[in-house]
Amino acid sequence: MSDTIAVASSEVRIRNLHKVFGGREVLSGIDLDIPAGSVTAIIGPSGSGKSTLLRCINHLERPDSGYVEVGGEVIGYRPEKGRLRERSSRDIARQRASIGMVFQQFNLFGHRTAAQNIAEGQLAAGVPAAAARARAGELLKRVGLAGREGAYPSELSGGQQQRVAIARALARDPRLILFDEPTSALDPELVGEVLAVIKQLATTGITMAIVTHEIGFAREVADQLVFLDGGQIVDRGAPADVLDNTDNERARAFVAAVL
Amino acid sequence: MSQVLADRVSATPNEQPSESATDGLVGARLVTRRRPARWVAAALALVLAAMLVNTLITNPRFEWGVVGDYLGSSAILRGLVLTLWLTAAVMVSGYVLGIGLAALRLSDNAILRTASFGFVWLVRSVPPLVQLLFWFEIASLYPRLSFGIPFGPEFVSFQTAHLFSALAAAYVALTIDAAAFASEIIRGGLLSVDHGQTEAASSIGLSRWRTFRRVVLPQAMPSIIPASGNMLIGMLKATSLVSVIAVQDLLGASELIYNDNFKIIPLLLVATIWYLVLTTLLSIGQFLLERHFARGKRRGPTRSLPTVWRDSLSLLPHRRVAKAGGAA
Repeated sequence: MSDTIAVASSEVRIRNLHKVFGGREVLSGIDLDIPAGSVTAIIGPSGSGKSTLLRCINHLERPDSGYVEVGGEVIGYRPEKGRLRERSSRDIARQRASIGMVFQQFNLFGHRTAAQNIAEGQLAAGVPAAAARARAGELLKRVGLAGREGAYPSELSGGQQQRVAIARALARDPRLILFDEPTSALDPELVGEVLAVIKQLATTGITMAIVTHEIGFAREVADQLVFLDGGQIVDRGAPADVLDNTDNERARAFVAAVL
Repeated sequence: MSQVLADRVSATPNEQPSESATDGLVGARLVTRRRPARWVAAALALVLAAMLVNTLITNPRFEWGVVGDYLGSSAILRGLVLTLWLTAAVMVSGYVLGIGLAALRLSDNAILRTASFGFVWLVRSVPPLVQLLFWFEIASLYPRLSFGIPFGPEFVSFQTAHLFSALAAAYVALTIDAAAFASEIIRGGLLSVDHGQTEAASSIGLSRWRTFRRVVLPQAMPSIIPASGNMLIGMLKATSLVSVIAVQDLLGASELIYNDNFKIIPLLLVATIWYLVLTTLLSIGQFLLERHFARGKRRGPTRSLPTVWRDSLSLLPHRRVAKAGGAA
């Protein structure tokens, strides 16, 4: 599997990942490498396990077998005498801090302002309030929301909320950032502003994994495209190869339907 | 597809408006529908209110003079202080226990979950007065209480009769009652917070405790506060049950006086007036708390107490200033 991508430079290594929900296998043996500094887009029909795969990467879902490794460390488990023993919640929190995540429904803390949302993770890490506040302002500027520190999520549009969520995911300088259908809950005219921020982010060299339905965006930004169906990776490679010349019947049908 | 589009294009209105018989109504004044039944109902309500005021003033058996004499008397004030103190103590310890019970109920451990459920079921099923009497009579059930290893040696032991005065029995019984109800209120509030909030907190590396304290609990408050306010007011009144076991609370103190001088109605009015004053103050406090925890929930300026008062109690049709924001 790792013939096309050098394992040594992989930021994320997923091996034989299985996940079962209520007797139904949602992920059946995923093997995937995401090279450091690259962008991987994950596409596929709904129910194919895309989000579950992403959520296993930062241990929001606990795999039933197999494992995920980020930056050389197995997530959620500690290798011990040939076994993987689940880590303490403190240890898992530490691992998650280095993996940012952006959700479909934004999930901003509704009772806190934009700046407070962004600063929360840093405050938890013991960063002084003033420094965390300054960093929040800086990040807001970066996502095009300079001066909106005091705005509550309910006072922001969906696109603005998602941009604050991206800033929040960046606040602890993650080595990897996960996007779970970041534009699916947005009104069509707001999709562009969020994609622009993600696109800009892709140029900074941070490793990214994006579950998306925006095929055009995936083609433009992704270094690697993964097509998931029925809990398995059906096809993967450079976006143009997968989208235009896939050998796989299911992938071809899906691409034809969404384009 | 293209057929639908063509239909839509042909359905767009012409540039030239068509003529109609209603053309003359363009500038007509809009007249609101008459509502005579409203006026009748309002008049009836006013008559009933006038009758109430009249009887309060003219019926000599209210003995307002006696009410005035006892309203500030030291025995009544002592009862009032005990009522306040007991309510506060019961609510604080009830909520501490209630948070624990809610945590057990939401835990992953099935045994603890069931235990919490069983406790709440039992306490909610038995009337508080019956519980109160049980705790008052506990000495006849367990004359001696001891601490030690279960089924093993004892370290300390007490005579229950000395331990449980009437006031202690009242405190314990009401606390247990409050804990059961508080746990349900807290559990409901915590469950009302979207799970995505917890996931987002986890994703930025917040610990479970910090997630609870900084993310979940503050957002559970808007649904916990109103229910807790109602419970506090209910508990303030429920403390009057303790007069049954001869505790001198506000009602107990009033009873003691009227048992002596037979001025039953005036002394019940004294207690009533104090309960009215207390619940009114608590309601105002509840309003201010609710407004505080509505942060980030609503657009537009926060409404002051007099505004809310006027909006909910206005007798005349109040002016509807364009409501900015609306449903967020």
